Amino acid sequence: MKKYICPICGYVYDETKEGVKFDDLPDDWKCPLCGAPKKLFKAEAIEVIVSEDMEEETLREMNYAEISALCSSLARGCEKQYLEEESKLFTKLANYYKNKSKIKESVSFEELISKIDKDLEINYQQARNIASEKEDRGALRVITWGEKVTMILKSLLSQYKDDKEFIKNTKVYVCDICGFIYIGDEKPEICPVCKVPSFKLFEIERGA
Amino acid sequence: MNKIRAVRNLRICSKDCLCLYVCPTGATDTETGQIDFSKCIGCGACSKACPSGAISMVPYQYPKQQLKDELVIAKLNKLIQSKAEQEQMAEHIYNSSNNNIEKQLAKAFIRANRLMSEDLYRESGFMLPQSKNTKDFLESLLEQANEEILKKDIEKLIKLLDFNE
Ligand code: SF4
Ligand code: SF4
Ligand SMILES: [Zn+2]
Repeated sequence: MKKYICPICGYVYDETKEGVKFDDLPDDWKCPLCGAPKKLFKAEAIEVIVSEDMEEETLREMNYAEISALCSSLARGCEKQYLEEESKLFTKLANYYKNKSKIKESVSFEELISKIDKDLEINYQQARNIASEKEDRGALRVITWGEKVTMILKSLLSQYKDDKEFIKNTKVYVCDICGFIYIGDEKPEICPVCKVPSFKLFEIERGA
Repeated sequence: MNKIRAVRNLRICSKDCLCLYVCPTGATDTETGQIDFSKCIGCGACSKACPSGAISMVPYQYPKQQLKDELVIAKLNKLIQSKAEQEQMAEHIYNSSNNNIEKQLAKAFIRANRLMSEDLYRESGFMLPQSKNTKDFLESLLEQANEEILKKDIEKLIKLLDFNE
């Protein structure tokens, strides 16, 4: 008997308690807490050891899309400090640079999935190694949240590939703090990733 | 001593108005609901009286940005680069699709990726809008800016922000 753990919210499926083998659960079984699909669950206590690859990174120039993200991040910082005018100006800059950033010519879902895979398989692991070594708990926090959100993105894309209408009869919410995407009729009481109360989860409406 | 002032969280404020009675300067009574900074003398009476914990006392000058290790920044930057690209990809899917479900999903991806890069920036030395990092960033934007309105906005920001280093 094994335990299986939801990588998003930490929910534990204990075969001993449930009396049903995890493998015997239907394929469309979902995490009862956060709705993560069965596929994402991992058996308890598997340590992933990643090869250390600590090449020196040279800092490159930021591109417009990145400048835009930094400006919108600073806009939020100002908002939290109740600096209204500053916040508005940063938002204006964020929009300006967003419009300037070049839109891709064409994009396939495969390309998007391969970017996500690279984040999950390499980028997050490397970042986590360095952040632990430097004992940067703030960085560890953003890595932990981001990795979970990225896993959900991956699982949503693979569900979408199998069934283009899988969200047709339900709703889509995004956590305004960590970016977690929740698919379901009612939003969860707290965000399963960052644990913020549900009023910070906003619905993404479907256009006509 | 570092000067402080009161700010009100409008979402928590229950509007039952104890702060109106205790403020010696009338700063808490405004048409926007926010405290009038120009009148506030930072005595803290409103914050102590507020039954909802809706008023915080904040400094004018914030402490310095926490130092971040170069290597940590480099690794977080890799992630930012990737999230920004994914946001653009989702943006492209959003713009070129005419299926409303696909568009809805793309919109969620745009938002999620943007939120992740914003958060990554906060952990790579840009938590504080008043930091030297932000100042350097704005100055480099100003240098490259070639439109007058844009320059004006950046200059205004540099002037408004109370940089602490
Ligand atoms: S005392 Fe607190 S809750 Fe009451 S009006 Fe003032 S800020 Fe709002
Ligand atoms: S800190 Fe003092 S002066 Fe400022 S708003 Fe509160 S009660 Fe009024
Ligand atoms: Zn969240």
